[in-house]
Amino acid sequence: MPKSRRTLAAAAVALILPLSACGSGDDDGGTQDASGKVEGDITFQTWNLRANFKPYFEDLIAGFEHKYPGAHVKWVDQPAEGYPDKLSADAAGGTLPDVVNVSPDLVAPLARAGLALDLDKAAASFKSAYLPGAWASHQIPGTSGTYAFPWYLNTGPLFYNKALFQKAGLDPDQPPKTYDDLFADALQMARKSDGKVATLANVPTIEDFGRYGVPLMNKEGTGFAFNDAKGVELLTEYKRLYDAKALDPQALTATPESSGKKFLTGAVAMNPGSALDLGNFKKNAPGLYKNIGITDQITSTGHANMYVMGVMVNSRTEHTPAAVAFAHFVTDAQHQMSFARKVAIFPSTAGSLDDPYFTEEDGTDETRVRIAAAKSLKNAVNYTPVLFSDQMKTALRNEVAKALQGKESPKEALDNAVETADRLLRQG
Amino acid sequence: MATPLRIKRQRLFSPWLFAAPGLLVTGTFVLYPFVSTLVNSLTDRRTLLPGHFVGLANFRELLHDDMFWTGLRNSSLYVLGVVPALVVLPLLLALLVQKNIPGITFFRSAFYTPVVASIVVVGLIWVWLLDERGLVNSLLETVGIGRVGFLSDQWLLLLSAMAVTVWKGLGYYMIIYLAALANVPRELHEAAAVDGAGPVRRFLSVTVPAVRSTMVLVAALSSVAAFKVFSEVYLMAGPSGGPAGEDTTLVMLVQRTGTGLTGRVGYASALSVVVFAVTVVLMLLVLRADRREET
Repeated sequence: MPKSRRTLAAAAVALILPLSACGSGDDDGGTQDASGKVEGDITFQTWNLRANFKPYFEDLIAGFEHKYPGAHVKWVDQPAEGYPDKLSADAAGGTLPDVVNVSPDLVAPLARAGLALDLDKAAASFKSAYLPGAWASHQIPGTSGTYAFPWYLNTGPLFYNKALFQKAGLDPDQPPKTYDDLFADALQMARKSDGKVATLANVPTIEDFGRYGVPLMNKEGTGFAFNDAKGVELLTEYKRLYDAKALDPQALTATPESSGKKFLTGAVAMNPGSALDLGNFKKNAPGLYKNIGITDQITSTGHANMYVMGVMVNSRTEHTPAAVAFAHFVTDAQHQMSFARKVAIFPSTAGSLDDPYFTEEDGTDETRVRIAAAKSLKNAVNYTPVLFSDQMKTALRNEVAKALQGKESPKEALDNAVETADRLLRQG
Repeated sequence: MATPLRIKRQRLFSPWLFAAPGLLVTGTFVLYPFVSTLVNSLTDRRTLLPGHFVGLANFRELLHDDMFWTGLRNSSLYVLGVVPALVVLPLLLALLVQKNIPGITFFRSAFYTPVVASIVVVGLIWVWLLDERGLVNSLLETVGIGRVGFLSDQWLLLLSAMAVTVWKGLGYYMIIYLAALANVPRELHEAAAVDGAGPVRRFLSVTVPAVRSTMVLVAALSSVAAFKVFSEVYLMAGPSGGPAGEDTTLVMLVQRTGTGLTGRVGYASALSVVVFAVTVVLMLLVLRADRREET
């Protein structure tokens, strides 16, 4: 074979090889039937929980293996950073664990790729054991099933620095309750501190638009709608705050971690958080802890925002009965309740929030935060649409930043964000 | 005793056997991913969904993507800002530490330390220093200049990231220059000095011509590295790429577009192909400039 032809043939093989990986995904392995004997080796993956809760999960697994002697659970834990990337690599490589800790936005692409077991079919009998809203949080518009067991819920109050409020001439015992109060107090704080203390550290996210009462998606769930008059109104208010330095100048590049640090150092007067943060304040900023004020999330809808964690079963598991049984075991009322006693989270199982642990005061701040959060969770909403992907979040954030910098009007910015999000939604 | 035919056959295969381990590694970790990226760039492949052939659609989309042009602008500006500094400053630094005087090893090591420091650690330290309430701003405020938004202004952020890249790269290129300077004949300097050339004249007429090929090498290496910048900008501007994403570089855009469960692998591959093409052009330009100088 002449040299040039040989080179050509080698190049053709090199080109064809990767193309062969570009076919349609096979639906190999796995069964939807969870009714068989609970046995076999399964893998359970959690999301950054080993460092703090190793004994809890080891006991949990031991309990399951004791109940089902034929089953064996291998526990793996992944760090918080890059968790979606780890999941996508596993999913693409066919090595997704049998039972996976997920959030609703992570379930959506996995379900659409056929990798999440439909629990409405495989585990319908367990549905009534969970709060209806929590069960529904893993339903994906455009599909008909439910793709993860709801696990723990979380919500949190708004923390504020009483000393900074006092310095700005604001009543430290009367924190803002409405958006109008919040905007007025923030402007006063900026004015009195000569722009050195901001009240807010983050630009508005999709949750903030939801909490402000902006419709996020159309009724059919086929397109986004947060560019309506209400959305423009919220962004216009934030622009006013940004111009007055009532919104931190570094908010455009802030992350939840960086804004948390700014709150710790007294550069920012208010910050959302959870009961977990109280321990952090006590340990890392005792001065702030002495002056900490706690108030409810501000909302125009009457519904606080909640975060939902779920436990998904890989639809391609070779041990569906064991995987479903274990996912339910992790998320049943008894185990969620015992997990909630170890860390400031809230069970998603029906009736658990009526437990005295979530209703009876003992005079400590931690309990006060826990009781208030449990109360607000009863009608809380997970505002983030499950189809709102990371790329969409980035697009919204960038457009919001342009509006705050005055490069676009709030209306133009939100129109552009909706256009991009709709395009990404159509692309699937 | 081996027959001539056997020897001939062995001569044919032996070189390939020696090269096999290297070829295998290169083929698996360089060539296959490269070809795979080329192929993916012609598909609409997603992270979890197999793609279909879409021809040049991804490349056409690039042309209408504002973020692509922002990334291309920032990566190009990075080359323009960083490369001249990394060609000249390490040479001056190498001249400073070239002489064997007592204690010079300490300075050589000190200048080299940023090279071995983790980029994440370095990035975080600079973020703390340049923060609105960081050390640099406190000093500026003390001397009456007032706070500067190093991490909130789009251009200052890019400049700050460039400064970190230059600071971190100085030691590495200094070592390369030290090796080159060691080969410059001392007689040339002595002859120039006898002819009455001062230090600046000797630098321009003796040192620079003697290390010119090393300067080309440094320019080539640093321009490719600068065009592919990711860590410094990602750490200082945040995952969103600075205010409104205006500090996003091309490689950051590849990462943001192609990763995650909803990643657009096809589109990100097209972006990667563009990055590859531009770096090849950069190398060719530098080498061509060198050849023109030689003739």
